[in-house]
Amino acid sequence: MPKSQFIDPTDARKKGEIHFGSIPVNQYSKTLKEEKKIYSKEDFLRIFRDMFLIREFETMLNLIKTAGEYQGIPYNHPGPAHLSMGQEAAAVGMAYTLSVDDYIFGSHRSHGEILAKGLSAIHQLGEKALMDIMEVHFNGETLQVVEKGFKGDTKELATDFLLYGTLAEIFARKTGFNKGLGGSMHAFFTPFGVYPNNAIVGGSGDISVGAALFKKVNSKPGIVVANIGDASMACGPVWEGISFATMDQFRTLWEEPYRGGLPIIFNFMNNQYGMGGQTRGETMGYDMLARVGAGVNPEMMHAERVDGYNPLAVIDAFRRKKKIIEEKKGPVLLDTLTYRFTGHSPSDASSYRSREEIDAWEKQDSLLAYPADLIRSGIVTKEEIEAIKLVVVESIVKALKKAIDENVSPRMDLLAYPETIGDMIFSDGSVDKMEDRTPDTLMTMEENPRVQQLKKKERYGLDKDGKPHSKLKTYQLKDAIFEAIIDRFYKDPTLVAYGEENRDWGGAFAVYRGLTEALPYHRLFNSPIAEGAIVGTAIGYGMAGGRVIAEIMYCDFLGRCGDEVFNQLPKWQAMSGNIIKMPVVIRVSVGSKYGAQHSQDWTSLVAHIPGLKIAFPATPYDAKGLMNTALQGTDPVIFFESQRIYDVAELFHEGGVPEGYYEIPFGEPDIKRKGDDITILSIGATLYRALEAADILKEKYGMSAEVIDARSLVPFNYDLVIESVKKTGRIVLTSDANSRGSFLKEMAHTISELAFDDLDAAPIVVGSRNWIVPAYELENFYFPQAEWIIDAIDQKIVPLKDHISGTDFGDESIKQRNKKGV
Amino acid sequence: MAEAVFMPRLGQSVESCIITRWEKKKGEIVEEGDVLFCYETDKASFDEIAKISGILLEIFYEEGDEVPVLANVAVIGKAGESVDAFRSSDATTSSVEVASVDSVKVNPVETSHDVAGVETPSDVRIRISPRAKCIAQAKGISIQGLQGSGPNGRIIVRDVESAAVIVPKADPAAVNTVKPVPAVSVPAFASIPSNDDYVESPLSNMRKLIAKGMHASLQNSAQLTHHTSADARKLLELRAIYKVRAEKGEIPNITLNDLVCYATVRALEKMPAINAHFLGDRMKTFKKVHLGIAVDTDRGLMVPVIRNADDLKLKALATQMKAMAENCRKGNVDPELLRSENASFTISNLGAYGIELFTPVINLPQSGILGVNTITYRPADIGNGIIAFIPVIGLSLTYDHRALDGAPASAFLKEIRNQIENLSNDLV
Repeated sequence: MPKSQFIDPTDARKKGEIHFGSIPVNQYSKTLKEEKKIYSKEDFLRIFRDMFLIREFETMLNLIKTAGEYQGIPYNHPGPAHLSMGQEAAAVGMAYTLSVDDYIFGSHRSHGEILAKGLSAIHQLGEKALMDIMEVHFNGETLQVVEKGFKGDTKELATDFLLYGTLAEIFARKTGFNKGLGGSMHAFFTPFGVYPNNAIVGGSGDISVGAALFKKVNSKPGIVVANIGDASMACGPVWEGISFATMDQFRTLWEEPYRGGLPIIFNFMNNQYGMGGQTRGETMGYDMLARVGAGVNPEMMHAERVDGYNPLAVIDAFRRKKKIIEEKKGPVLLDTLTYRFTGHSPSDASSYRSREEIDAWEKQDSLLAYPADLIRSGIVTKEEIEAIKLVVVESIVKALKKAIDENVSPRMDLLAYPETIGDMIFSDGSVDKMEDRTPDTLMTMEENPRVQQLKKKERYGLDKDGKPHSKLKTYQLKDAIFEAIIDRFYKDPTLVAYGEENRDWGGAFAVYRGLTEALPYHRLFNSPIAEGAIVGTAIGYGMAGGRVIAEIMYCDFLGRCGDEVFNQLPKWQAMSGNIIKMPVVIRVSVGSKYGAQHSQDWTSLVAHIPGLKIAFPATPYDAKGLMNTALQGTDPVIFFESQRIYDVAELFHEGGVPEGYYEIPFGEPDIKRKGDDITILSIGATLYRALEAADILKEKYGMSAEVIDARSLVPFNYDLVIESVKKTGRIVLTSDANSRGSFLKEMAHTISELAFDDLDAAPIVVGSRNWIVPAYELENFYFPQAEWIIDAIDQKIVPLKDHISGTDFGDESIKQRNKKGV
Repeated sequence: MAEAVFMPRLGQSVESCIITRWEKKKGEIVEEGDVLFCYETDKASFDEIAKISGILLEIFYEEGDEVPVLANVAVIGKAGESVDAFRSSDATTSSVEVASVDSVKVNPVETSHDVAGVETPSDVRIRISPRAKCIAQAKGISIQGLQGSGPNGRIIVRDVESAAVIVPKADPAAVNTVKPVPAVSVPAFASIPSNDDYVESPLSNMRKLIAKGMHASLQNSAQLTHHTSADARKLLELRAIYKVRAEKGEIPNITLNDLVCYATVRALEKMPAINAHFLGDRMKTFKKVHLGIAVDTDRGLMVPVIRNADDLKLKALATQMKAMAENCRKGNVDPELLRSENASFTISNLGAYGIELFTPVINLPQSGILGVNTITYRPADIGNGIIAFIPVIGLSLTYDHRALDGAPASAFLKEIRNQIENLSNDLV
């Protein structure tokens, strides 16, 4: 909502029409004679070699899957193999013009793209650069296998390396490109510009946009190509990615030299089927996919349908589209028409299409038509084509033999090293800045109005007489988050922050107030209302090497980015074999007062997912320390904040919140009040209700409660809690999450396991009701109250003298509620 | 309507009682107020009075039976009434039989520390928290018969802690090395073998408790005894004066033992280090003196406590000690007063038996006990170079070396001597 742009009602209400231009469809019409001006004979042959190599590679996989052998070599591969036979011209055409600096992202059907882009990179890279890349990758572990018995030049060695690394990855070998943890649907190799392929349809649709954002914000060379399928056009992440990528602000508001469209081509590999659903004619309504571009922006995304059965047509299109991107007029939408002969997977009987249809496309197979054209035009001879085939088959046989040899290509030894995968879930890095250069800012930090204002605030909540300072004079939790974030903006030049209402407004809850003044648009901007893209792009940004804070305005909106938070963000570090780092912090604000869809604590949902670090501070001191840790790390962090306590002052840390930098390690709970008779473990804002309960216990029942603030959920060190339970013998756990499936239950169970003999009663969870969150006026019946904690203690742990419970925690009511499902 | 007669529950610590004698027989008419049966607890014996009149329709436990508290012992009702509803499983309606998901199965054989649980029905399901169970085991407390105060009657830590009577507190490391008291299996009276050479008889509850307490004390502490003697001339002089005055009815009888106790309380006030409990990882030093007095009774040794003995003038101390000893001998002392944990220090006097020297055994968790011996005569320099025989009273202090060292223990013993030798003339 920039004030610089005036929305004129007279103009907005004016009568008019929207005009669409035309979208080219298969317009390529150059003859080989014309193309000879651009391509040498070697170029023509190389295009064929690359296409044939992909075809033979997948033929091999298809035979292994369906016949159990290739060239007399038997092997059983139980894992997936989504083949793209028929789509080779599209893959090679796509990769041909791309430089090593250009990144491709793919789908579950991307073997062809990996190989095409890899071969293109090998062609472009010098011998020394190639050797460096191969030697560095897992300290040469993959290279050593390939080098054994190898004869030839470095490019041939690199080709073998590409074939073997990909195949070993598909067969889940430790020597694969990603240690076998990615597999067929996720294999990638970043040194060749091959970024993660994604087994969730459309998964790359927003992640790739983040990589493009990284390139733009950090002035990196190269473009990004998202190779996604035609059916993914229906997916939210793809739409959201397109919306994000085509925001007006790139051209209207961002400063030079960052002004201009994002460098990305959404390349729809249109094989005309989404599994068995025919996208044109059955499951979509666009008639031709390229039409969609017309509705997105006035440039119609420079959309075009290209004949993906002719490699030269695809190369031509990419050459033209790359130029558009270089002129900062992106993004671009390409509808690369193609067809796959094999099924969705080897188990697919193709019952949804006719034999005639497959035959008809096979007759026009690019692997037949293209070399025939070359021979007919006298550019190459039949013998030259056959010679290439022999070399390729030989390479593939060689790669296969090595990839299935248990001795040279072992799998991870999880028997001897059972924690190998566990150790790869997090990278646990500590990095001040992801790149070393001066961060772009608009003023010094000292000049910042909010920084100046904070200097005058009381950093401890109480005066020397123990009375609270006035709210306005007190440094609050939201200030603590701000302080950690602005500090990092001045340290790490790659750091960007975005989300809904982050700029100008300063975030819906004023955490970012003062940041707009400090930062140019390309480091702090407003995103579309598209949580999928907010998180998805952050993943791509982190993957590409940048640090990012994305904001989800209300915890309840996490569902809108479910795939990004559950399947993408947590997984890529381990799925890459730890090649990728993910310094991504997702700030999630837990609401209250706004009812059922704006007040939920969903910490438990994310805590269930392996690969995310989760913090939920409840005090200013903890908020600053934990945010500093989040921003120093290299792991994805879901950073929960509570709207109920953005304004709390520091009441626990002696001397108040330090002005300087400090970190609070994740996983270390903190005793907020010492006690001997019962332990209360709280997560998030519920801390203050736990303290209230501790007061009541002390005053009314003479019990001293030890109140522990979990501070983080994942990781979590139980030592402090167990020590406390050993002392008190009793524990109540409380948070605002509704109790069924709450993370508190996980903690309660773990405590039972670790301290069983020390417990005088089962750990009791006091969570919210399993209801919708009612209106603010009724919230006290939904969220745990101090009295509930007392009631639970009285009924489940130790009967309190003369206590009259208001809330029923009895066994019968627990059974009844569960029976009813509430 | 027939009514059950329950074994009463006397004090937090009592979990079962032994019926020593039935005063009424099955079928006999009983009047309200009649003594039905006599029974003994850990340390005292009681009479159970009929609360209603009627016919004693049924008796469920015989003499010698150990009965869990609150168990149904008998039924009183009108002639011809059925007693089936009170029988066997229904008869023991105490909470210990309530089975539930979180209750634990307790086999008395497994709880080898559980002397009292020998004759209770096996396989009784008891709800108890894991922590309470661990503490009970560490302290050697039987959980059978414990009344749970937690949710659903669950025995929780506070129940076990308040049940820790007599049974000494021992540090956990020591417990592991303690051999359980052997010979848990005690046959019923009827099956006791005997011949001309010997008679075997079962231990009384109290004997069992004493055995366990004494054994545990020697097993679980580092006790040793220092001996000294005090000039008893002042003591004897005061005793002679008080005797005359008591005979005139001016004051109650004040014995030598009362005077020694009085002097010891003064010494404890002055040097409180030994007026303390040793609790494994910490000391619990008392600000008041709760004086345990060893009393010999027909049933065995009892050690009732005089609470706040330091607040008592000599007369009051003497009166209370006398009353307490009488109660013990009659068997109607409050069991709470017999808990070793309720006393801070104990005195045992064997002087009347002519004992010249002995090594009293500490009542854990207390850290000291003073043995008082008989008066003997010894040569001493009574001034001006004259050596004469004077009366001296022997003092034997056993202390727990874990709690304090030899020097302070000796200093304390010296202080007692000092107090005895310098008793004031105007105490009464």
